[in-house]
Amino acid sequence: MKLRDVDVAVIGAGPAGLAAAIKAKEAGASNVIVMERTEQMGGLLHQCVHNGFGLFYFNEDLTGPEYAHRFIEKAIDTGVKALLETMVTEISPDREIKAVSREAGFITFKPKAIVLAMGCREKTRGALGIPGTRPAGIFTAGTAQRLVNIEGYVPGRRVVILGSGDIGMIMARRLTLEGAKVEAVVEILPYTGGLIRNEVQCLHDFDISPLLKHTVTQIHGEQRIEAVTIAQVDESKRPVAGTERIIQCDTLLLSVGLIPENELSLMAGVKIDPITAGPIVDEMRQTSIPGIFAGGNVVHVHDLVDNVSWESELAGQSAARFASGVKAVEGKVRLRAGKNIRYIVPQTISGQSEVTLYMRVSEMEENVHLQIGDILSRGLRVVKPSEMLKIELSSEHLKRIKEGTTEIIINCEKRRRKQ
Amino acid sequence: MTTKEKIICVGCPMGCRVTLTISNREVMAVDGNKCKQGEKYVLEEYHNPVRILTTTLLTQGSSQRLLPVRTAKPIPKAKMMSAVRILAKVRVKPPIKIGEVVAAKPSGIEVDVMATADLLS
Repeated sequence: MKLRDVDVAVIGAGPAGLAAAIKAKEAGASNVIVMERTEQMGGLLHQCVHNGFGLFYFNEDLTGPEYAHRFIEKAIDTGVKALLETMVTEISPDREIKAVSREAGFITFKPKAIVLAMGCREKTRGALGIPGTRPAGIFTAGTAQRLVNIEGYVPGRRVVILGSGDIGMIMARRLTLEGAKVEAVVEILPYTGGLIRNEVQCLHDFDISPLLKHTVTQIHGEQRIEAVTIAQVDESKRPVAGTERIIQCDTLLLSVGLIPENELSLMAGVKIDPITAGPIVDEMRQTSIPGIFAGGNVVHVHDLVDNVSWESELAGQSAARFASGVKAVEGKVRLRAGKNIRYIVPQTISGQSEVTLYMRVSEMEENVHLQIGDILSRGLRVVKPSEMLKIELSSEHLKRIKEGTTEIIINCEKRRRKQ
Repeated sequence: MTTKEKIICVGCPMGCRVTLTISNREVMAVDGNKCKQGEKYVLEEYHNPVRILTTTLLTQGSSQRLLPVRTAKPIPKAKMMSAVRILAKVRVKPPIKIGEVVAAKPSGIEVDVMATADLLS
């Protein structure tokens, strides 16, 4: 395959990129490549050795490497070409890709369509601004996961974890099993920041109770971290004076959120949603630039890889169609986040075809009504920021969109009790 | 004499905090679950809590330092720590294919342990 003949170029060979590339191939694109900066396909799944992947996509409880393996095999079988150790350095608004590769040196080419699948990265200490010294022993949870599961190093013996995101909780279990002592899991919110399954199976199973409404206010130690000061926080998440206490530790893990990785998208001039920090997309996962599509954690951070795969398949399919000259249906109806809704993906829909909406709420609430304009209303027992909502709009729902509608507001409100 | 036991249901994001009333290891009442599946889950979780164990094994003769593995079936929750200690002594050599049994029902675990990735030399 010559680079000038590429129909669809996918940036990143993690779960999103692989799903997009396979689907693009299945949808008829002849020449599909994935460009991957590391030496293998599969992305972060290789270091996620725990199970819980694929419960929805495969109806099986798989580990990360097993989930990756299925997609890697399929990518090879369907004839997706992988350019490994290839780092894309630039994408222009007219879809020209520049990259550097160990094998081919500098390369530049212009595929008929692009899928952005760069995933996301972890927030670091800098994003939080925790005061104190700058010792060794402070890691993001994902870095610690790589050290333990790939490199074979346990980063410390006495560990404090700040934040209760899924990776943080999974690392609490992993480090306990590896013989370390998890001294505390500290969460600023009144509830844990991940899936309930992880709270039970990673914390409670090992007698770790998360310290809710607490945060780390100071880091101590010169060469290596020696302790942290933690304190309770008030309603506005500010530390309460007099509640400080010191916890001795040799390691601090940060599990405080993920940010979509969009440097390349910005270079291409793709419009970014300030809330998701990912490209604004329509229901076909086309970005603001025609021919550039996006799927997975680069668009918005998911809880489950299953949804990453599905969303990226949509992007891959759309990219294949675009490459073959079929004009994409433009999204005309804007979806707007109303009460207790933080964001909705896709940001626009055409109203013509069935679509799945992914959204997150701002606050945890019980017994709520989700109201999508006047086309759908659904009662939900509980909504949590850490559990993504997934709502399917059928053609029945779409028929209710009135002619000339340009915006649909989505609200999540407390259900009124019947007297 | 009856005692109470609390179990969080993991069936859905609701995470119901369910209270079981126990008399002589027998569940007399289940309260706090908001659906039928919740009752089924907490009864299983009370009588026989099991988990899939996932961990890594040290390798010999491979450029990969570790091989990720899992128990082929769930094991009793109470055995997780001891099972990991047993597996810490196991060394594996390439080539190994994903899904291959790398430790056949090791004593103390009694369930096959299988590779969740390939191991190349």
